[in-house]
Amino acid sequence: MNKSRIGVFVCHCGLNIAATVDVARVVEAVRDDPGVAYAAEYKYMCSDPGQNMIKDAVREHNLDGVVVAACSPAMHQVTFRKTVAGVGMNPYRMESANIREQVSWVHQDDPERATLKAIETVRTIVEKVRRNEPLEPIAIPVNRRALVIGGGVAGLTAALDIADAGYPVILVERADALGGKMRQLSGTYLNFDAAPDMLAKRVARVQQHPHIQVLTSAEVMALEGYVGNFTVRVSCRGTARRAQGEPADRSDTPLPPLTPKSLSHRGRGDLKSPLRVRSPSPLSGRGGQGDEGEESFTFDVGAVVVATGWDSYPMAALAEYGAGEIPDVIDYLAFERMLAPGEAIRRPSDGRTPREVVFVQCAGSRDPANGVPYCSKVCCMVVPKQAMLLAERVPGAQAYVFYTDIRSAGKNYDEYVQRAMSERHVLYLRGKVSRLFREGDRVMVWGEDTLSGQAVEIAADLVVLATPLLAAEGARELAQRLRISTDAHGFYNEAHPKLRPVETLTAGVFVAGAGQGPKDIPETVAEASGAAAKALQLFAQDHITQEPTVAVVDADLCAACGACVEACPYGARSIHPVWHVATVQAALCQGCGACVAACPNKACSVRNWTPEQILGMADLYV
Amino acid sequence: MIPRVMVIGGGIAGIQAALDVANSGYEVVLVERLPSIGGHMAQLSETFPTLDCSQCIMTPRTVEVGHHEQIKLMTYSEVESVAGEVGHFRVRVRRAPTYVDWDACTGCGTCQQKCPYKAESDFERGIGPRKAIYTLNPQAVPNKPVIDPDACKWLLTRAEREAEGKKPQCGACQKLCPTEAIRFDDAPAYFEEEVGAIILATGYDLMSPARLPEYGGGMVADVIDGLAFERLLASSGPTAGAVRRPSDGATPKEIVFVQCAGSRDPEHGAPYCSKICCMYTAKQAMLYKHRVHDGQAHIFYIDVRAGGKRYEEFITRGIEEGTDYLRGKVSKIYRDGEKVIVRGADTLNGKPVTLAADLVVLAMAVLPAPTRRRSPRAWASRWTPTASSSRSTTSCSRWRARGPACTWPAWRPGRRTSPKRWRRRAARRARC
Ligand SMILES: Cc1cc2nc3c(=O)[nH]c(=O)nc-3n(C[C@H](O)[C@H](O)[C@H](O)COP(=O)(O)OP(=O)(O)OC[C@H]3O[C@@H](n4cnc5c(N)ncnc54)[C@H](O)[C@@H]3O)c2cc1C
Ligand SMILES: Cc1cc2nc3c(=O)[nH]c(=O)nc-3n(C[C@H](O)[C@H](O)[C@H](O)COP(=O)(O)OP(=O)(O)OC[C@H]3O[C@@H](n4cnc5c(N)ncnc54)[C@H](O)[C@@H]3O)c2cc1C
Ligand code: SF4
Ligand code: SF4
Ligand code: SF4
Ligand code: SF4
Ligand code: SF4
Repeated sequence: MNKSRIGVFVCHCGLNIAATVDVARVVEAVRDDPGVAYAAEYKYMCSDPGQNMIKDAVREHNLDGVVVAACSPAMHQVTFRKTVAGVGMNPYRMESANIREQVSWVHQDDPERATLKAIETVRTIVEKVRRNEPLEPIAIPVNRRALVIGGGVAGLTAALDIADAGYPVILVERADALGGKMRQLSGTYLNFDAAPDMLAKRVARVQQHPHIQVLTSAEVMALEGYVGNFTVRVSCRGTARRAQGEPADRSDTPLPPLTPKSLSHRGRGDLKSPLRVRSPSPLSGRGGQGDEGEESFTFDVGAVVVATGWDSYPMAALAEYGAGEIPDVIDYLAFERMLAPGEAIRRPSDGRTPREVVFVQCAGSRDPANGVPYCSKVCCMVVPKQAMLLAERVPGAQAYVFYTDIRSAGKNYDEYVQRAMSERHVLYLRGKVSRLFREGDRVMVWGEDTLSGQAVEIAADLVVLATPLLAAEGARELAQRLRISTDAHGFYNEAHPKLRPVETLTAGVFVAGAGQGPKDIPETVAEASGAAAKALQLFAQDHITQEPTVAVVDADLCAACGACVEACPYGARSIHPVWHVATVQAALCQGCGACVAACPNKACSVRNWTPEQILGMADLYV
Repeated sequence: MIPRVMVIGGGIAGIQAALDVANSGYEVVLVERLPSIGGHMAQLSETFPTLDCSQCIMTPRTVEVGHHEQIKLMTYSEVESVAGEVGHFRVRVRRAPTYVDWDACTGCGTCQQKCPYKAESDFERGIGPRKAIYTLNPQAVPNKPVIDPDACKWLLTRAEREAEGKKPQCGACQKLCPTEAIRFDDAPAYFEEEVGAIILATGYDLMSPARLPEYGGGMVADVIDGLAFERLLASSGPTAGAVRRPSDGATPKEIVFVQCAGSRDPEHGAPYCSKICCMYTAKQAMLYKHRVHDGQAHIFYIDVRAGGKRYEEFITRGIEEGTDYLRGKVSKIYRDGEKVIVRGADTLNGKPVTLAADLVVLAMAVLPAPTRRRSPRAWASRWTPTASSSRSTTSCSRWRARGPACTWPAWRPGRRTSPKRWRRRAARRARC
């Protein structure tokens, strides 16, 4: 080990480093250190001449390790690892010593001590490289089949995008028909296209698609494994129900037969790894029979798209609006049903056609005290749509809208609301509703118009509440099964709100649609395509490569106490049932080191970050 | 079918598209008009709703694009023409002359440090200058400079001096560049790329405040747009994150933000809602409070459009931290001594309000990116200002009273302008 032949290359980074750190002194100081065979400096190590200098030195001096003292490893470690790999050195024998961000930039006022710190930093990294093992990246095979959970417009879109690219998809829908909430909508903004028509095409394409296997009345019960290699267990009620002769379907979309067509399909012709379908599988017949005639299937997939959508707010929770008590106070999903083609607009109490209709926006939304604190995003657009449809269908009808803010932010959205106001004479009143009560066959609405400062009273025939969108029922439980997280309201958490909006922190599991947060159809579809693209990106690779700096266990020392299993935040640890030692699932391990700290027997270490290395490095500082 | 994709526009949209396609195993050509990628996100300080630093979350992606073997990065380039059809497009790309050999340049920055000539920086939105040879920011990808032919002394004096048989002036960068990368005789280059699909991600631009003279836009130095305020907040900006107003560098104690400036206004601006400004204004007011603890931020708004995950909660947090929301329209903004007076009406109580602010930030309407960015010189060659608009002979009383301190923008040297704007400004000048 002490016979290492390490080359140290110190970069000036123009003046970025050299203005503070005396680079020449750093080179002189480490030149004769144990293990160092060569040391040099250059103005820009990352430039082509700089990289060539490293390559030449490796060849000439027969180096077996390289330390580049320059900028942060996040910046150029990849660059330099490629450089040394170009001359046949194992890239994991190269490390960056950060003397820019952590030295020259933060100690500009004290060049002397900055130089000393730079020397120490370089020495510690040399110490680390002396014990760095040559490693190979871990190659993880990818099972090129996707699971899509939820058959709303998000799930349908994601399934089609993936299937159209040539990969098999299993679509699991909890309800007995595909389509999600869009089935219940009437015309959609901005052009009043009927939602069911738009949907029908997609549903038909999904059902006929040779690469898509649809499982309705089904739910995902468990997910095991890791990116590229998940095993899912799905429990199915559908077939059992049909067997009992129950009306299986409320819509006109027939339940698709459980054919093995897509599961036997191997996707694109050039796929190298054949699909593995574990038995029991839908291919070979049925899984185990559950209690109430339930069946469960187990199969392998490489990626999961979660698109479970939203559920409506319970009207009973809106008692302050008279909901549940006054029959003519309904929520806007119910009104949406009345507006659907072929349906009549009649108020629930006496079946009369309402003329004066009051819409109450933010009923329960943006109301941390009584409802939910968030904004439901779609209602500001749904309400003008419904008001316009009402005006069209019921001549002489007058719509009033109580609002706080009109959130019509979107392409052509604001113009749409303007149209409702100017063309359909929808009366927008900025203010809250203070009281709702019944008087005769009318619903009296008391409120305040905050713009004129006056109290208003409207005798309405019907009151429509724009209630909050909630996360789909059972989203939290599903999230637990999928090892993804939800926010306080049950919406799935994305990996990063701006830069990774469809990914989750569990690699290989993606989210799309209203399950991530309230959103309308255009946004839902865009997200679904985004999630599909992410899954396809995974499928495009033969293997996913992972950093080999993962935890390893010394079986001789391991007592199988399970401390590491508990400590691991990524679920990478388990105790082998036969050998009775802790094992690491390399594909899940992120090299965080939690298990190393937890192990009472010092049986764990992270490769190339072993305790000896870290202690050796620490010794140089103290 | 050519399995190769062109992405036009290197903002965060183009970057992400390029990375996703490239990581799916296909080759990508990324065409960006500016010298480096990043788009507007590179100009932002911290971003809503999580307030993470824009540059920090973006740099890993720009660096990845820079290193990616499947991505061919063509910056300082624009698409000239597209022929062919889906599956087989032939795209002609024009690369503007950079006057620097990027293969030789190591990005050391010496030239930028030493160049003695400055110009107004578009990237800094007029808040700070840049050199005649410049990169957009220190984290630029690629980190290679270009020379602005309208600011470089060498290029500006070349024709004249060479006619006299002398060497052009300056040339400092050429003398000092350690890799001899400066090429003053650089010319536009044309490339033909064959691709199967094209992704358009050319992003947006903000409407110029000069379109709103009633708000003092383009006339009052302390009336700036949202992006300029982002530069004031950015720790990598010209003021290193200290909020200082442009006119005198003082820390503003009272800021008025005006939302929907030029948006939702079919008469004066755009009829549509610009969607992002409600959120970034809330963010800017919040960040201002974090920087200037005793400062007060007022926001004029019509609706607070915070529809989005965690957005409503973000607004609530802003209000809790002391942002003052005023529902109403601003009718006039003008300078009065040290202060900028904002007159408007509070539509909630129907009363007029007048605020004396130190700085006014207009949340200007978002427009699509201009199809073609003309260099100022291209404009100059088409239209030369007449003698009457030159500074020394101006009859403008304002200029006579204030001299070089006058903030009237038409007279600031180096500012990019167009004939239309010149004319409009000349007309305005006649009025004052
Ligand atoms: C009254 C009203 C009117 C609207 N009008 C419009 C409009 O005009 N224009 C517009 O753009 N948007 C409109 N929207 C919004 C629109 O409904 C949503 O954007 C859209 O439905 C979101 O689709 P999704 O696929 O994400 O969710 P969903 O449509 O909710 O689909 C989710 C699917 O997942 C299934 N599922 C749930 N949990 C599970 C589970 N655990 N396992 C398996 N499957 C599960 C559900 O059964 C459902 O089929 C309206 C919303 C409302 C409330
Ligand atoms: C003041 C302000 C503050 C903001 N704050 C936030 C925030 O806090 N959080 C947040 O989420 N969002 C924020 N935003 C919004 C954010 O800036 C945009 O969402 C984002 O930058 C859009 O990225 P883009 O890639 O679509 O466009 P851009 O960033 O505009 O990028 C487009 C790129 O294409 C190039 N281009 C244009 N035309 C051509 C052409 N013809 N040929 C070649 N290249 C071309 C441009 O040079 C540019 O580099 C803010 C916006 C503003 C104005
Ligand atoms: S979208 Fe509009 S109505 Fe719905 S919660 Fe948000 S502000 Fe209220
Ligand atoms: S290093 Fe971290 S991720 Fe890896 S097994 Fe240990 S605890 Fe789990
Ligand atoms: S001095 Fe030369 S090498 Fe350095 S950045 Fe300028 S052009 Fe590039
Ligand atoms: S020649 Fe002079 S003015 Fe021109 S870029 Fe070089 S240093 Fe700047
Ligand atoms: S300020 Fe708000 S309402 Fe106004 S244009 Fe911008 S996003 Fe739309």
